[in-house]
Amino acid sequence: MSAKSLSKGKGRVKKKLSGSKSYLLNWSKTFRGRLTIICLIGLCLIPLLTQNRYYLGIFITAMIFSIFAASWDFLAGFTGQVSFGQAIFFGISGYITSYFIRYLYLPWWASLLIGSLVGVAFGLLIGIPALRLKGPYLGLATMVLGLIMFYTFLNVKFEPWLGGSEGISKIPQISRNAVETYYIHLIFMITSFLILIWIGKSKMGTVFKSIRDDDIGAEASGINLTKYKLIAFMISAFFAGIAGGLFAMHNRGVNPGVFQPLYSFYAIVMASLGGIATISGSALGSYFFWFAAELFSEWPDVSVFIFAIILILVIRFAEHGILKPVLERLKDIWDLVLGK
Amino acid sequence: MVPIAEVIIFGTIEASVYGLLALGFSLVYGVGGILNLSHGLFYLLTGYIIFWTYTTIGIVWAVILALIIIIIVGGLSYLLLIKPLQENHVAILIITFSLGFFVEQFIKVFGDAIPHTVPSFVGGAITILGVPFPSQFFVILIGSFIVIAITGLFISKSKIGKSIRAISQDREAAMLMGINADRTLMYTVMISAALAGIAAVLYVPASSIAPHMGWDVLSNSFAIVIFGGLGSLKGSVVGAFILGYTRSFVNYFIDPAFSALVPIVVIILVLLIRPRGIFGKKEVY
Repeated sequence: MSAKSLSKGKGRVKKKLSGSKSYLLNWSKTFRGRLTIICLIGLCLIPLLTQNRYYLGIFITAMIFSIFAASWDFLAGFTGQVSFGQAIFFGISGYITSYFIRYLYLPWWASLLIGSLVGVAFGLLIGIPALRLKGPYLGLATMVLGLIMFYTFLNVKFEPWLGGSEGISKIPQISRNAVETYYIHLIFMITSFLILIWIGKSKMGTVFKSIRDDDIGAEASGINLTKYKLIAFMISAFFAGIAGGLFAMHNRGVNPGVFQPLYSFYAIVMASLGGIATISGSALGSYFFWFAAELFSEWPDVSVFIFAIILILVIRFAEHGILKPVLERLKDIWDLVLGK
Repeated sequence: MVPIAEVIIFGTIEASVYGLLALGFSLVYGVGGILNLSHGLFYLLTGYIIFWTYTTIGIVWAVILALIIIIIVGGLSYLLLIKPLQENHVAILIITFSLGFFVEQFIKVFGDAIPHTVPSFVGGAITILGVPFPSQFFVILIGSFIVIAITGLFISKSKIGKSIRAISQDREAAMLMGINADRTLMYTVMISAALAGIAAVLYVPASSIAPHMGWDVLSNSFAIVIFGGLGSLKGSVVGAFILGYTRSFVNYFIDPAFSALVPIVVIILVLLIRPRGIFGKKEVY
């Protein structure tokens, strides 16, 4: 690289660019990279196979929840802060998005952005008192906050403002065309994952991991704990908010049920299935969950029941999720096929 | 005019029931440093076992059966789930959270989602200051006071109680003195389950149970324990009374719809003003 002829700044940019290019190239040659690319191409080709709104809907739900699960995984896996109230951000963004579309007639993307930003504001609002609490207490406090949101939105007294148990309904979908909707969700999913993985690999991600591994040590090295914890909280809230807004539009309405601990449970079960602190594992967990849930679509309670058992078993016996062992097994088969 | 007797009686009832619940929750935290998110399920499961069995075996045997089962469930949940993960607080939280979900969904799948109630032990009503109250209320009051007193005596006087206190004060020193920490912690979880079970036995006849109620029980217990100071038994009882009366006053003088918001207001205020709670020794952050 002819660094001498270039100004210093330009050289750095070029180096960074070429570095990331070779990183991507190397990544695409590894087994994981190839698998990811094959899965992504597969997802792009799904609408060629079926244009049935119902079947595409399953994929869309899985995509929305993979963003949601990834937002939880980012917070828990990278910064070690377990939130059992991820549904707060999911729900509030769903409500705000629906409100702006239904009553202020804003385009869906603007409403979604506003909804997610309100989610971020909530993250900040909750983060300031809650981050005085360490680990386990934070989890419990966020869970209680989620319950309170649930009761506030369910409250009959607040019905004129918050919609009561009916919530907000009859909001238009993103697009009448199912295939178009599918691709919009796919783009949202891929972009969210890229950003989250990028943050995880960036300098800030390293700071987050140092807080997770040793917060006293991190503080001693001059890291402002509260600031970075809040940033992590807000990033997580933003992506949970995007998922919540998309979910509201996909379901064409939103009701207080989205604040239930059940939705936080969804995020946790999906992320844990795929493997905590892997981000991409959340997507696998989410698809697995919704395909399995489809088998029990007539008894929705049964699928949550079974997944509660699965989550207990996964946490108890396979702390790193089930994605990793399965991937390693797949790699053996792949090597066998290639004759390595 | 709002009858003041009613406000006070209802406050005392809620307080004594939540005192039992918070006591168990706080005990497990104080001894093992474990925040048990499945605490609500002990309450819920006891209520449902009584509801499912009382028609066939009678209310007395149903209560005995439910308490025995809930103590076994408590012991098993410690042995099988909490003990192997003791080093990892996050994993304990997730696993107890999913245990709570497991029981909620179990009830939804094998039972139904509508609220139920069970008959009370004693019928009739007692009139105080011109207001008739169901006799069950007095069973709750007397029962929970007796149970809280027995628990206090048990913790301070019995051998297991002494080892429980020893472990909570200094785990390593207690282990060097020959106290089996794991077994003590198992007893603690069983006591906590039994206290939640007794709360259900007393309170369910006067109210109702539904699958989602475990989370409300948990959030109230948590608010009380944060308020009273984590790990302080005195704090949980005092906190329960303050929260119970506050809820009751809000119910009558402001609006019943707001009483569900009391716990969170309490939690936020305590965290902002005095994070260790009123009787807590250690700060929670």
